[in-house]
Amino acid sequence: MSVKVKIPSLLNKYANGQELLEVEGYSLIECTRNLVIQLPGLKRWLYDKQGELRPQVWFFINGERIYDDEFTKSLNDGDELFFLLASGGG
Amino acid sequence: MIKCHGIGVVDMFTEDELVRYERQIIIPGWGEQGQEKLKKAKVVVAGAGGLGSAILNYLAVAGVGSIRVIDGDTVELSNLNRQILHSEKDIGRKKVDSARDKLQSLNPHIEIEAIGEVITEDNVFEMVGDYLIVDALDNLPARYLLNRVAVQRELTLFHGAVYGFEGRATTIIPGKTPCIKCLYKDVLPGKIPVVGVIPAVIGCIQATEVIKYVVGIGELLINRLLIYDGLGQKFTEARLKQDPHCEECRLPRSFTIGDER
Ligand SMILES: [Zn+2]
Repeated sequence: MSVKVKIPSLLNKYANGQELLEVEGYSLIECTRNLVIQLPGLKRWLYDKQGELRPQVWFFINGERIYDDEFTKSLNDGDELFFLLASGGG
Repeated sequence: MIKCHGIGVVDMFTEDELVRYERQIIIPGWGEQGQEKLKKAKVVVAGAGGLGSAILNYLAVAGVGSIRVIDGDTVELSNLNRQILHSEKDIGRKKVDSARDKLQSLNPHIEIEAIGEVITEDNVFEMVGDYLIVDALDNLPARYLLNRVAVQRELTLFHGAVYGFEGRATTIIPGKTPCIKCLYKDVLPGKIPVVGVIPAVIGCIQATEVIKYVVGIGELLINRLLIYDGLGQKFTEARLKQDPHCEECRLPRSFTIGDER
């Protein structure tokens, strides 16, 4: 099963300029794992040193923000995964 | 003050003010009533930096009657690529002082209150009072403090944040939307890159929200995150929801009768 992943423009350079790519996986956790295998440059932005997803990353499925306890929920074929990095500039 | 034919909102405004605000008063749904609401509005803007520069300039010229500015910093040369409230002659001054001077010269008909202190757990409730809250801060700990006041007093909070060429904004109504603590678990560490135009765009979006909220027109960014990507030159929108485990806005406040003091 595959999910469309949208890369934020901030991280575009780690995705060889691709904005949208297909990633295999049944849940968000699986998709992000496969995403960083495809694009290793994204790994340090998504995962901390312990290998956990960073709390600074906001995930959206089909345009809606989802929180930790939904990360293992099963996704549907063709769902769109989008993420942003939380930053506090003013 | 001009007095004309007894009652009416016109009493609130001088002839100069009516001329000053004429172009916005003619907006459908605004009118002199809308302008009166703005004049009576009390807004606290936390942060007189990049976001604050845009927000404060536009709230002042729109005629928000009482504006309170909070910022503990002084103006530095490295602020001037983005913080257009301040000029080179202001370097070394308190940001709130230079902000007050600039805003008062833009619009002498409004009240500007300058609080040149850092927000702390001890002073935040008093600083905010019952004002509408605009979050123009540059750090998460102070945002959490503002958020606490917003949630506990059910005050609307207009949030914005920037990083590099990107920015976001949303409007937080406690109980109806996620709060800052729902949304932010942590932020990227280190010095934040910023080009002035980005806080200008995001700050103007926040100011637009404040104005619409007060006047009572249009659609607000309720449960909506507006994301501006300046490099791709695109706006996108995402839907937000409360974190069911949020420790600020979702856990029941655990007071029992015995706890009350
Ligand atoms: Zn919350």
